[in-house]
Amino acid sequence: MNMLLELKNLTIPTLDQKCVIVNNVSFGVKKGSIHAVIGPNGSGKSTLAYTIMGLDSYKISQGKLYFDGIDITNMSLTERAKLGITLAWQEPARIDGLSVFKYISLGIKDKSNLQEKVKEALRTVNLEPERYYNRIIDETLSGGERKRVELAAAIAMRPKLIILDEPDSGLDMIVIEDFLNIFNKIKALNMTILLITHREDIGMVADYGTLLWRGDAILTDEFPTVMVKYCAKAGLKEFCKRALFKNGGKCFDDEYIDRIFREEELL
Amino acid sequence: MRRNEYPQEILQSLEDYNIDIKDFMPGHGGGAKLLLNFNKIAGVDQVEGVILKGREIPNGIVADIIIKEGTKHEEPVHLCFGVNKETGVQEIFPRIIAEDNTSVKVQAHCSFPKANGLIHKMFGHFYIGKNCNFNYSETHYHGENSGALVAPVGYMYIGENSIFENNFNLTQGTPGKVKIMIDIYAMQNSIIRSNIKAYGKSKKDSIRIRDSVFLEGENARSVIKMKAVARNGGEVLMYGVTEGNAPHCNGHVECSEIVLGKGSICRARPFIRAIDPTSSISHEASLGRFPQKWLDELMAKGLTEDEATEILIEAMLKE
Repeated sequence: MNMLLELKNLTIPTLDQKCVIVNNVSFGVKKGSIHAVIGPNGSGKSTLAYTIMGLDSYKISQGKLYFDGIDITNMSLTERAKLGITLAWQEPARIDGLSVFKYISLGIKDKSNLQEKVKEALRTVNLEPERYYNRIIDETLSGGERKRVELAAAIAMRPKLIILDEPDSGLDMIVIEDFLNIFNKIKALNMTILLITHREDIGMVADYGTLLWRGDAILTDEFPTVMVKYCAKAGLKEFCKRALFKNGGKCFDDEYIDRIFREEELL
Repeated sequence: MRRNEYPQEILQSLEDYNIDIKDFMPGHGGGAKLLLNFNKIAGVDQVEGVILKGREIPNGIVADIIIKEGTKHEEPVHLCFGVNKETGVQEIFPRIIAEDNTSVKVQAHCSFPKANGLIHKMFGHFYIGKNCNFNYSETHYHGENSGALVAPVGYMYIGENSIFENNFNLTQGTPGKVKIMIDIYAMQNSIIRSNIKAYGKSKKDSIRIRDSVFLEGENARSVIKMKAVARNGGEVLMYGVTEGNAPHCNGHVECSEIVLGKGSICRARPFIRAIDPTSSISHEASLGRFPQKWLDELMAKGLTEDEATEILIEAMLKE
């Protein structure tokens, strides 16, 4: 499987250049996969997401970023979006006067059958087009509704890569289950997902993962393996044995988990 | 009255505001109407429960609009103050009385498509009774030459348990020199929403708006939202005033102004006052550019910063 996104020795400092947030990080995101970046609060996950997207206030001090074989290190946010990268925000903005239709249609390049394309995107995120089409993306939408509209806007662009920044924040368990189904729908549309999260239940939908720990990329592997390492770093053995299930089965036997934890303790 | 009996330029300017004019002319549609062509009354339609009386004076008209007690109309009362001349003086003295238990919308259009030295003044009094739902919208079009001087003044008394919504829009064309002063007095349990939108597009455009709410009755509530854009040397000054003068009243003033291009100026002067310890009055103001996060969100969809800014201006000033 080809790499869609490659980070090579990426270092991201704070705006004043006094501290390093992400330190010499390298990993790749395979085309068509769901790749989760996990780590505790403050490990640099969102910084990494915003830097990949190309936000002006997040600058790379060292390293290279490749997207679909192209060096995008010095490209602007707009240029990266036009290449096929987009981001669904953790807390999307409420903008008075901007309709759901207008917002979703902004990123659609081919404006033919625009209404149907917007409606289709709304259906993908399980919002009834008739109810939401003319709504305004202001405070009258709930947090969950606004996140779905954000996802719909990202999907409607038909990008190659969608970065989902903490899509689970502020959502209840039933809604999260629904979101996991939506991620699989996105994957079925041949889009690649870079999922930023710190929750194992969200991450378990991922094929691969990278563990960020205090700005360092500790491990990139299949997601459950990365999750065990995360639990070992955090000292959560019982949680690890209890929580890591995929496709109805336990990911690892207890002996394997015990071994990983012993190795971590020796470090 | 037929459509071709009224200046086409004025009707066109209403259509530019997405106003459906097919029912707008007297003799058509269901709502009451008062049309002015410069200082002449061009047409009047009354409907049951709505009395419209106008009297011409040398430079304009005096008009009484009375909504009789208990009247409830879905169709808005249309007032059109059009001037299809470059210069002249138009003075309007309207008195709007909504008796108790009424529910109406009044849509006023002030259209001066050829203005180039034209002066429009209004001195209006609104008396809204008890238990009313009164919606007043005023849209202005001053042509493309920044050639109008417009100075409306409105005093509005809102009775107990009434809801009053005021919408003022000056977002199409070029404003010229605009000075607007609105004083709203809110009685017990009344609710006031006042939304002002203005767009100064060149250095010949100077807009000053003072929107004041005086919460005089217990539990009266208000929100003033003022939104403006100044570009290419345009100037906008917004005064948002709220006084909490009664127990448990609650008021908020919000002002958002965007500055684009060299020489443009936006100013906001919120003035809030509370004299009752149980009242709650607040304000917030933001001037300059749109929040970076909003721009980033739109740019992540492939828009340039300029394109994102234009989309946000359109949304901000949308009626």
